[in-house]
Amino acid sequence: MTGSTRRGNPCALWVMLTMLCAAAVNASPVTITVATSSGDPAVDAIVVLDPLDSAAPGTAATAVIDQVNKRFVPHVSVVRTGTSVTFPNSDHIRHQVYSFSPAKTFSLKLYAGSPEVDVVFDKPGLVVLGCNIHDTMVGFVGVVDSPYFGKITQTGAVTLDLPAGRYRMRIWHPNLAAVTQAPQEFTVAEKPASIPIIVELDPGRETVAAWP
Amino acid sequence: MLLRTRIALTFLLLLSAVLTAALYAVSAANRSNAAREVQRQLDVGVSVFTRLLESNRRLLTQAAQAVAADYGFREAVAANDTETMNSALENAGARVGAALVVLTSLDGHVLAASGSHVAAGSVFPITAPHGNRVLVDSGKIYQMVTVPVRSPLPVAWISMGFALDDKAARELADITGLGVTLSLSSGARTEVASTVAAGSAAARDTVARRIALSNQGDIGVEATLSRSLSEARAPFERLTDRLFLIAAVSLIAFGWTAFAIARNITRPLRDLTRSVDRIRGGDYELALTVHRRDELGVLADGLKHMQTAVQSRDQSIRRLAYQDALTGLMNRTAFGAALSVALSDLGSTTVAVAVINLLRFRRINEHLGYPVGDEVLKAIASRLSALPSVDSAVARLATDEFAAFTRLADPAQLQAWGTSLLAALVEPVIVEAQPIDIAATVGLALASGVQPDADDLLRRADVAVGRARREKHALAIYQDSFQPAAREQLSLLGELRRAVEEDELRLYFQPKIELATNRVAGAEVLMRWQHPSRGLLSPAAFIPFAEQTGFIRRITRWALDRAAAQGAEWHRAGCSIPLAVNISADDIDERLDSRIAAILGRHQLPPCLLSLELTESSFIDDPERALRVLTALASLGVGLSIDDFGTGYSSLGMLARMPVHEMKVDRSFVLGLASDAGYAAIVRSAIDMGHSLGLKVVAEGIETESIAGRLRELRCDIGQGYLYARPMSAQEFAAWLEGKPRVPVIAPLVDFPAQDHIDTQNLVTY
Repeated sequence: MTGSTRRGNPCALWVMLTMLCAAAVNASPVTITVATSSGDPAVDAIVVLDPLDSAAPGTAATAVIDQVNKRFVPHVSVVRTGTSVTFPNSDHIRHQVYSFSPAKTFSLKLYAGSPEVDVVFDKPGLVVLGCNIHDTMVGFVGVVDSPYFGKITQTGAVTLDLPAGRYRMRIWHPNLAAVTQAPQEFTVAEKPASIPIIVELDPGRETVAAWP
Repeated sequence: MLLRTRIALTFLLLLSAVLTAALYAVSAANRSNAAREVQRQLDVGVSVFTRLLESNRRLLTQAAQAVAADYGFREAVAANDTETMNSALENAGARVGAALVVLTSLDGHVLAASGSHVAAGSVFPITAPHGNRVLVDSGKIYQMVTVPVRSPLPVAWISMGFALDDKAARELADITGLGVTLSLSSGARTEVASTVAAGSAAARDTVARRIALSNQGDIGVEATLSRSLSEARAPFERLTDRLFLIAAVSLIAFGWTAFAIARNITRPLRDLTRSVDRIRGGDYELALTVHRRDELGVLADGLKHMQTAVQSRDQSIRRLAYQDALTGLMNRTAFGAALSVALSDLGSTTVAVAVINLLRFRRINEHLGYPVGDEVLKAIASRLSALPSVDSAVARLATDEFAAFTRLADPAQLQAWGTSLLAALVEPVIVEAQPIDIAATVGLALASGVQPDADDLLRRADVAVGRARREKHALAIYQDSFQPAAREQLSLLGELRRAVEEDELRLYFQPKIELATNRVAGAEVLMRWQHPSRGLLSPAAFIPFAEQTGFIRRITRWALDRAAAQGAEWHRAGCSIPLAVNISADDIDERLDSRIAAILGRHQLPPCLLSLELTESSFIDDPERALRVLTALASLGVGLSIDDFGTGYSSLGMLARMPVHEMKVDRSFVLGLASDAGYAAIVRSAIDMGHSLGLKVVAEGIETESIAGRLRELRCDIGQGYLYARPMSAQEFAAWLEGKPRVPVIAPLVDFPAQDHIDTQNLVTY
């Protein structure tokens, strides 16, 4: 992974954060850090918190996954089920974005600029994105039902405003080898909290880690 | 070993060695070539095999990647549409002829396959993507390539493989020309496919290269490329066999040729050897049979020339052996042989032999030179040869001696024949326009007896010529009285030896009287032989014989020694009287002076008490030598006297040169004084001549006082004869001398220097 992909798209992140802040009524900020055992931030790790006590509120939203320099940007995205994602093409060449993933199988015709249609990710699960004419282009979209999720950036941490209650925690990263330290479940009180998580990453693995 | 065999064998051995070395080198090169060729083929084989695998891999990879990248196929995979996947795989496999195409999930479960024996859902052993891998399945070997199916991340594997079976092995074998065996090894090796017939490849004869294709777990997969060495060597061996054949054929041909050439060389050699054997045997007539233009021909020519040279040398040797080189006449040997032949067939005839002696021939050589002498001899030879005579021959026996024989019908013709020989030599020989007088003496002998002997006949003629010379006759015919019978001669010689050894000879002394004063001037020493059976013998009885046989030298030496002893004895007794000893011609040689000196020294006799009397004839043959000897004797101080003056042929000139002190007038002239006035004139002139030469003159044979008076009138110095005394023994002479007046002799009583003993020894043993 290079720095440019980790940096992500500030615009998309901003949309996502404002959406989360709006939903956070009587919520407490919970900061979750994900790092390797050597202390490096596990950039692009996805953290998903499934509320166990109440149904999750919220509505569908939209997201954008750009294609820059024959890469999907962001490389890893996480969206709530039902999100409509736009795949603009910022390159000067055409791409043909497709997915054979069971969570969402689709194929966009070869195009440049803006595609004709957006893709609605309507089932939870991991969707692996590819370009039919550029084998090296790989992107990941995690589709989750819960409204509480986040992606680790260069800071190594993500802060979520969570209502008090019990939550199940899921951690995913394309190169995840093992989760060394993380609570399976935890309860959010009405006060800020911090949860450190340690993972093992294997950059050399050929297949992608299984979706939790 | 024969030369022929040796030549041939040498060349054969040489060629064999060369061929052996060549064959060895060729077969060694062949062996190593074959081995190297096999190694090279194996290297190429391994390379080809590796490239083939690589090519297969690429082919498989492309085919697998093609299907893996196919969007429709990926859709089918995503949709898990087994039927579609199967058909797609089958299609992909058929494109490249893959034996096996399998689609597996990432965890290795078979999703679809083209080979019916791979069941869906079963676990396929290849799970990770692999460029080139060997799979063993159901006892078959596959070269497998595995590529991922990406959508876009790997979601499945496509493994595609070719079967490494008999067909593949055959193809590989066709390409590489090697034996190809594919085998599995899990403990024991199992052949899966092979182009090498089982059991045909003996390990010893095969070179193999093993390539490990895979070694997963217990089962190893190997490809073995092999090459039979004998097959590889076969072409080289065919070459070697052919070389052996060529070598054998060339050896046989060479051997045959070498023998032929050697025989060609040695046969003429054998012929030449036979010719040489014949020449050695003295057969010069047979021609040499070798006619060639090569070295042997040269050798044969050389032998031919040698044969001619040997023949001519043989002839000249024979000529030298039987012929006189100067005159071409026979020599003594040939003459003896010819005479023998003539004597063997006398019939009613007889054979006469003549020995012709040239007088004073030595002077011709000395005064006119040897070339003139040779011309004279040749002229005489041709004159003698030209004489008409029957069945005759002429020879040259010695320097100045010739011989001839002829057949006479009547012995009475002998004298006439001898005269004719002399007559032939009367005319002077003309050499270089200079007439040279020749004087010759002829001795004749006539064959007599039943079986006349050639040597004896020649000897008789020789005796006759000796007689003629001594008696100054021109011709003498042999008579038996000329010499004692041979047996008598032999016994006389023996007796003479004994006489000297047993002291039977006696010295007698006859005084010499000074005529003017009647004083005794000396004595002449004479010989007597006190023979045990025949009584006292006078010199005439044995001296001529001793002179003939050469024994006189012994007798003279004895006489000198005894006379010197006697003279010395008297001298010591105070009676110094000169003694004169007779010396014969044979005694005169170059060492006479040293012998005399030795005798004088031994007996301490003053030289003036010894004088030597020599006859004229003793130095007539070689006056120069006589002069040398006499000069040496004179320098010793001994007296020298010429005996029998007037009987020889000595010239006055020669007499003048001789260092003598005294001359004796022969008794024949003295005896004639009494009756013949002519003799008186001769004696007078002889005496005058002697005096004018400064010599004392002695007269022998004075028997009467009238003769003595006559001689005194003629002023003769000394007389000797019966008038004064007969010869007497030493004792008688000593007694006779008692009281007689003597001519004083100044003889020192000093020691005479002793002479070296070698001469003394000579004296004793001569």
